[in-house]
This record gives sequence, structure tokens and C-alpha cells, in this order.
Amino acid sequence: MVLDSVGVGLIGSTTEVFEMVLQHCKHMYGPDHVCSVYGRRGVKLSPTLAAFVNGVATHSMDFDDTWHPATHPSGAVLPAVLALSDMMPASRRPSGLDFLLAFNVGIEIQGRLMRFSNEARNIPKRFHPPTVVGPMGSAAACARLLSLDPSQCSHALAIAASLAGAPMANAATQCKPLHIGNASRLGLEAALLASRGLEASPLVLDAVAGVAGFNAFYEDYLPQPLDSPHDGHAFLLEEQDMGFKRFPAHLGMHWVADAAASVHKLLVGVVPGKVSPDQVQDILLRVPLSKYINRPFPESEHEARHSFQFNACSALLDGEVTVQSFTPAAMSRPELHALLSRVRLEHPHDNPANFNLMYGEVQVTLVGGDILRGRCDTFYGHWRNPLTNESLWKKFRSNAEVVLPSEKVERLVEVVDKLDRLGDCRDLLSQLQ
Amino acid sequence: MLRKGITESFGAAIHALSASQLTDGVINRSKRMMLDTLGVGLLGTRTAVFNKALKYSQLLTSEHRSSIWGRSEISLPPYYAAFVNGIAVHSMDFDDTWHPATHPSGAVLPALLALVETLPSRPSGLDLLLAFNVGIEVQGRLMRFSREAYNIPERFHPPSVVGVMGSAAASAKLLGLSPSQCRHALAIAASSAGAPLANAATQTKPLHIGNAARRGLEAALLAQIGLEGNPAILDMDSGLGVYYNDYSPSAMPVCASGDFRWILEDQDVAFKRIPAHLAMHWLVDAALEARAELQETAWTFDLSQIQRVTLRVPPSKYINCPLPTTEHQARHSFQFNACSALLDNRVTVASFDQARINRPALKELLSKVQVETPADNQPSFDKMYCEVQIETAQGQSCTARCNTFYGHWRKPLSQEDLVEKFSANASSVLCTEGVEGVIDVVENIEKVTEGSVLGSYLRMTSNTHEQMYLTRIL
Repeated sequence: MVLDSVGVGLIGSTTEVFEMVLQHCKHMYGPDHVCSVYGRRGVKLSPTLAAFVNGVATHSMDFDDTWHPATHPSGAVLPAVLALSDMMPASRRPSGLDFLLAFNVGIEIQGRLMRFSNEARNIPKRFHPPTVVGPMGSAAACARLLSLDPSQCSHALAIAASLAGAPMANAATQCKPLHIGNASRLGLEAALLASRGLEASPLVLDAVAGVAGFNAFYEDYLPQPLDSPHDGHAFLLEEQDMGFKRFPAHLGMHWVADAAASVHKLLVGVVPGKVSPDQVQDILLRVPLSKYINRPFPESEHEARHSFQFNACSALLDGEVTVQSFTPAAMSRPELHALLSRVRLEHPHDNPANFNLMYGEVQVTLVGGDILRGRCDTFYGHWRNPLTNESLWKKFRSNAEVVLPSEKVERLVEVVDKLDRLGDCRDLLSQLQ
Repeated sequence: MLRKGITESFGAAIHALSASQLTDGVINRSKRMMLDTLGVGLLGTRTAVFNKALKYSQLLTSEHRSSIWGRSEISLPPYYAAFVNGIAVHSMDFDDTWHPATHPSGAVLPALLALVETLPSRPSGLDLLLAFNVGIEVQGRLMRFSREAYNIPERFHPPSVVGVMGSAAASAKLLGLSPSQCRHALAIAASSAGAPLANAATQTKPLHIGNAARRGLEAALLAQIGLEGNPAILDMDSGLGVYYNDYSPSAMPVCASGDFRWILEDQDVAFKRIPAHLAMHWLVDAALEARAELQETAWTFDLSQIQRVTLRVPPSKYINCPLPTTEHQARHSFQFNACSALLDNRVTVASFDQARINRPALKELLSKVQVETPADNQPSFDKMYCEVQIETAQGQSCTARCNTFYGHWRKPLSQEDLVEKFSANASSVLCTEGVEGVIDVVENIEKVTEGSVLGSYLRMTSNTHEQMYLTRIL
């Protein structure tokens, strides 16, 4: 086997596809590392690796945006577009408007693709959505920024499809952030390969019986063509807003946290001071049925971010869930463990596993027999109840100030706000580290 | 009925969407998204997972360099060496095929050779051989978790599912990872698995093997620096099970000092004599036999007398291509391979040149072909057959059937013929010393003290033939 394989590889090194890919790798692996890594002064990497690590950073704490149908759209696109912009020579560097357009193409394509399947509307069970539509969005955004022709754009999508798809089982593990990192870098790579002439299936999004294309990732699949853009093309983002998280955990946690926080307020009202587990006899959570976010005793921060029980109890104890709630010290508190051992879950039939329809209910039975209830239908930050700009800036400042000096933090707020009027996106790129 | 235009419409739209179509509403929302994402990303640079990814990525900026097969002056970091060499292996669909169906070696060997050139521990030939077999074994085991895997694929291209897992396992082995790390290497690799079959018969298909090799290698390297995934990735339906409709995993036996039964022992691979999809091999053998029979029975025979050619083949959409236009399509076309065999009395590396694909005589013959899929012809490389019936204008009819082509695991290539295939291939880029060096090293690999010596032979190019390849007839 070894001998045959080597021989076949040697003759294969004379093919066109090999030559194309070799040039790509040599070019990508040039001696100058040109693309910035978030928050690391002086650290630069080659474009795909910069997209990779920045994507990992974005999803590392499950703090990034969530859309409906469910995916994390921005983390798959922004790092790639940044890396690509960084890579372009100064004379060809995109303007802020070019950048903003490419970003939106990447978001739009993801939204369109998810609407091809009813399965996509619910909390996922099989493939992690950012790994399915994320690479496609990244490829589309990068193809746009590179001004590829229509045929090359199609091939970029098809090449990306062969890089799509990761199983849900790696959610709630340390590997999950790589799903977004990979989406970003692989989409970028697909666009770069397409720009060098690599070709793939021209029918990858169409449903061809007996030969699966993009529909390999879905049980039901009904694709629709994208209308030729004309003035008045409605971007999906116009009709369906984004959800932004207030604390770094799976979106489903935000409902139970808000519900539990209202119970905390009641408790603290009843007996002023801290909430003590001794007061609590039983905690009942009414939540949708979804195995990967049902974790009674999470052992890692990753599991904790995907645990109804953990987030409800943290909010019950502290009145809120924050970045600090997932530190080892916070996670190992005996009071928290005491509460966790008193939690049980119910999955009412009217509570579907769907981010547009679900609710979270927390019912606490006190030792005395009193029952306190809290319910959240729409948490603050959900697309139905969006964060105000002030809240969004507050979240941004709080995050960015951990690694950047305040001048850069403020400059970033300013630059992004004026992005469509920026002549050169270098102003954005230079503030990231 | 083929639905057309979806993908085309996407390509067109991506190209044509312009800034004038951005509305204030969209602009405002997307700016908020960008800002939030940047903030979240900046904060995230403080996490353990980010630091591992960064450490890993910075490794790639080091002086580690691995050989590119057939190139004396270029080397690349191991990740990219594995990528391009893997692509080379599958670029002409000339690599080995197993049962259940996958191309096992191309996903594993390029990763191992890239790794072996950079490891300070200097693995021996035996280490290399063992790691290689671990990578093959794991692939074989995983495919047996699903009945679906036993048939010609329809959804995911198998090398993209089990290949990356094999590469991760093999790389983990060579790196000497702990059991827990090996487990996590598999988990990480699973998140890199799965490419749709639609890209078969296109220029992107070779990347499926290249990607399997490099991403499995990466998974092992990430596991080495402590990245963790789901330690039950193979157990769960929501783990590796997502790639199959039926999934029933079972444990690997404990391999203490006693005997271990390798799957490769019981189930051999097939080696190809033609750079085309495996199913073509049955067809070509049958076509050649039918042609020979016709030539024998007819006093004067020329191809223009052929009125109809009927191919009886297993049902499989992606290898049923009546009029291929690219080499990639041609390698996945029952019709093309049958007609090439009839026209030229042989199918070789050269048969897939663009000039040969465009021949009017070939196109004319193609128009006379029809394909049938008899109910007893199962889409399985272990059970299928191919039948070719040629009917002439004079009313003659010759039929030949091939159940097992030469090179199939039931009728393996002799060692002599295998070495001859290798020599013909390798001489297209290597000098004689390189060709013979590789043969020698592989033949005696268990005794080779430094596995990296293979790489040095793979770089011994012949001066006159560095950039072109000879066509040789097998």
C-alpha cells in the first residue's frame, strides 16, 4: 500500500490541481506574516491562520452573536474579512464600505442557506450550524472582497462545502470554538483557491438525487435561487435582527438566567441579604428538550456554558450571570453545588427547542413551603428585545478593555460606527492589537 | 429531472451585490454585529483554547519543513506538505480502494511522511510502518459501524469521513500521544470530517484526501498541546454518527501483548491499473474482452460498424456521465471508460488527456452507449459486476462480463506488476536513483533506522523531467 501510494502521489504531482494548490500554499506561507491577531501587539500570522485564531477567540466563550435560524454568523465572517483586508497591498486595500458590503454578503448567504431547511429552524441536533453555513458565508464574503467573477464565486461556495460540517458532540467542549475558527479560515481558503482557478461542483447547492451536495447536511432540503440583486434587494438582516448575548453562555441560558434573576430579586426581598441554599428545597426548570444543554453537574467552563442548571443556579445565587460566573473559583462554590443538587428539569410540550419560540421558567420551592416563580419569554438582547446601543457599547468596552488600552478601545467604537464612510479600512485593522 | 440554477444564482448574486443595496437599517445592524464580535474576540484572547490555537499556529511559523514529493527545491510546513502531497495522491483517482469503500492510504501516508521529517525523536521505518497501519485500521473499524458504508456512497465522500480520523490516529501514534490525547485527537478530527459527494468528479475531489491528511495531522498536534474535544465522539449519534443514517459503533479490542487481528489481514485493498474510479475497472475489463471477442468472430471489423453499446452496471449517479468534458468527469464515467477501451484497446494514464477526451471518434461512439442497471447488480465494490454488450450493424452481438478485475482484492496485483506501476509513475518525476531508492526503502522499511530517508528519495528529481511527465502504457 505504501509503495503504490507513493508512486501514485509522484505522478500526481504533475497535475494541474496539484500545481494550483502548491502555489496557494507557497503564497499563503510567505515569510512575512501580515495579519493581526486580536489583542496581541506585534503578533502576526499568515492570513488563514490569523482568521483561524481570531475566529477561535470570537467563539471561545460562547459570547458571540446568534441569529434565527440558529447560527453564530459574525465570527465565521469577520476574522476572514479582516485577514483578507490585511493581506491586500496598500493600494488595493478595501474602503470601509467595501469591507461592510463583504461582511454583509457573508451574513446574507448564511441566512439564505439556512432557509433551505426546516430542520435549521430548531436548536440543532446533528451538525453544528456554524460549521455548515459558516464556511459558506466566509467564502462568499471573501469572494466578494476579492471581486471574483460569478463563476468563481460559485466555485468558492462549492469548495467551501467540502470543508463544511462538524458534529454537535463537540459542543460544550474545548473544541467548539474551533468550529468558528475553522469556518472563517476554510471559507477564506476556499475563496483564495477559487481565485486561482480551482473548480468544484457547479450544482453543489442544487438538490441532485443520488449525489448529495450541500443537502448532505440536512434531512429536509428545499433550495431556492437567489434573485438577481436590483435596487431594493432586501437583506435578511433588515427583516430578522441579531441576538447579542449579555453573558458568555449558550443562547438558551439567557432565558433561564433572566427567569432565575427575577426569583432572586423576590428572595432577596423576602430575606434581605444573600441567598442561602438552606432556604431552598427544590428548583424546577421548565425548558425545551435539548440534550447538549442539559448538564446537571458541569465539570468544565465549556460544559457550564451549556448547562441550564448551572446558569439558573448562578443567577439565583448572584442575581445575574457574568463573565466571572465561569471562573474556576465561582464554579467550585459549595453554595452553588448545593443548589445544583436540588434542580430538576421539565420539558413542557409548549416549549419547543427553537430560539424564536422557547421560554424559560424557574420555580423555586422554599423550605417553608412557599413557591416563587419567574418566567422569561424574551430576554434582553434577544432580537425581539434588542440591546440598546448603550448596552452594546458597554459590553464592548468591558470586553475590549481587558486587552487593549482605552484609547484603542474608543477608537474602535468610533471607527466601526463610521465604517461606511471610512476611506481605508486600515484604520480598523490597526486598532485590533 | 435535474434542478439547475441555484448554485449559479448564488455565484451571480455574490458577484453583483453592491453597496448601493445596503440600507441604513442593515448598515446599523451589521455595525453593531461587528463591534460586538470584535469585543468578544478581544476578550476571548485570554482563554486557554485561544492560547492553544495560537501556540499551534505559531509552530507553523518555525523552521519545520517537510518535503514535497517530486520537488527538489521546495519544502513546506508539515501541515501544507501533507495537504499538497495528499492532493497529489488523489489527483488522478489512481490510489488504492478498500472495502467498505474508501481510499485509505492517501489520507494517512502524506501526513506521516510530513511529520516524520520534523520530529526530533527521529522515528524509525518501523515506527512509520506501525503508525501507518494504525491509521488504516482505524478507518476500517469506523466504516464497520454503519451498513451504509458498505455500498458505493451517496451522501458524504468516505475519505472525508474516515480518512481524517485515520490520519489523526496515525499521527497521534507517531507522536506517541497518551491514550487520552489519542482520544481527543479523534474528537478534534471529527469536527473536520465530512465533505459532500457532489464534489466528486470535479477538480476539488483530490482536496478531500489532501484535507483529510492535513486536518488529521492538525488534530493530533492540537491534542498534543492539550486541546480537548468530546471524549465520547465515536459513541454518540451526535458525534461521528452524524455522517451516517445507521450507526452502531463497537469498541476496539484491548491490544495487550497478545495477538491483534488487523482488518487489513482479512480484507485486502484494491490497487488500480487505470487512473479512474474503481467501478471503471470492471467495465474496462469487460469492454476489452467483448472487443476481443468481436474481433475474433468477425472477419473484418472496424469500430464504425458498432451500432449500439449497452453497459450493465450498478446504480450510482455520480459515475454515470454520458458526455464528460473534463478529465475529472471522464474518470467518473462508465460511458467514457467503456468507449476509450473500445476505441484504443487499452485505457491508460494518457486516455484522460483533454485531447483524447475531445476526440470526435470518441464522442461519436459515446452517442451509441446506453446504460442499464440490472436489479441484481448491487452498488458495492464487493458484489458488483459490469457487462458490456456490443451490437454491430451487421447484426452481430458480443457480450462480456467482468466479476472481478485484476487488481481487485479478490485478484490482487502481483508484486511485479505493482512495482511496475510504481516505476512508471515515479519515473515521471524522479531520477532512477530516486525510483529505486523508494522501492528499496519501502521493501525494507522495518529495518530502516530513520523514516525520514524516504523523504530524501522523494526529492530526487530527474533534471530533464522535473516539469513534464511521460506517458507510459501499463
